[in-house]
Amino acid sequence: MATGADRAVGMGLVGFSLLLFSYYTIWVVILPFVDSDHVVHQYFLPREYSVILPGIAALILLLLVGTFIGVVMWKNRKPKVA
Amino acid sequence: MCFGVAILHSTHIRINNIPTNMASRKCSQQSRGDGDKYSVLLPTYNERENLPLIVWLLVKYFGESGYNYEIIVIDDGSPDGTLEVAKQLQKIYGEDKILLRPREKKLGLGTAYIHGIKHATGNFVFIMDADLSHHPKFIPEFIEKQREGRYDLVSGTRYIGDGGVYGWDLRRKLISRGANYVTQVLLRPGASDLTGSFRLYKKEVLESLVERCVSKGYVFQMEMIVRARQLNYTIGEVPISFVDRVYGESKLGGNEIVSFLKGLLTLFATT
Repeated sequence: MATGADRAVGMGLVGFSLLLFSYYTIWVVILPFVDSDHVVHQYFLPREYSVILPGIAALILLLLVGTFIGVVMWKNRKPKVA
Repeated sequence: MCFGVAILHSTHIRINNIPTNMASRKCSQQSRGDGDKYSVLLPTYNERENLPLIVWLLVKYFGESGYNYEIIVIDDGSPDGTLEVAKQLQKIYGEDKILLRPREKKLGLGTAYIHGIKHATGNFVFIMDADLSHHPKFIPEFIEKQREGRYDLVSGTRYIGDGGVYGWDLRRKLISRGANYVTQVLLRPGASDLTGSFRLYKKEVLESLVERCVSKGYVFQMEMIVRARQLNYTIGEVPISFVDRVYGESKLGGNEIVSFLKGLLTLFATT
């Protein structure tokens, strides 16, 4: 069994993903079928953001990965020794 | 749970003190005369202290289960005298059980396998690490799994069933899981653990795979599985526990991660 701290991190990751998944599913799949004057709508952002936010997240991920690779390759450049 | 430490302390043996009943016991256990012989390839580099232990464990588990075996030690010119130790082990266990196929210098794992296979007389080949991160006690499970499904290759996996890793910190585990996930998405390999190196191959399967593989390091093991699937070989899995080296540094740096990604993308593009 993994140690306590590791399991806590694992549970945290799983919990966070579940929350995110549920929020997004309700936002995109359920809400369009709910009357626009229902109170639940105030808990969710305007619908454009359901596309913009994942787009920005993907961009940030790409940037981070690219930067990581760039930094590693930069550190690794060695002038060829004769 | 502390395999590594327990093994090193409780079975600490000096070469000339191996209990003779172990060495001279000739298959007084059940001997399965069914014609299968298992060659264990052990590429070594500076494994002077681990080699007697792993050989003892191999002899023990093969002896208890009665399967026919041989151990091929492929030493790449280790400066610490691993080859000397291997020669002494050969005197104790017999030249039919321990074969030495040393090489001049560090030439890499793929070529070590090719070199080892040329002299293997078994019809099955085990590959594993000689630094005690793979425990020979799983060997009978591999063999039974192979017989059960008549698999062309059986891979030890850390990610299903009882499989796991001991001795890794959170960062290392996350990296491993992350890498495995990305690999599963990109390559859809049909196996849960691609970078593991505790495997059982049919000898002709290993030969045909090694000659087709072009990569090195972690990616080499991945490529073996991907090519195996390409060639429609059947793959079985056995959960194993991997014990990270108890002594010495074995860090996974940014370099390894980047070369892994490069190798992964190459495989993705070419298979």
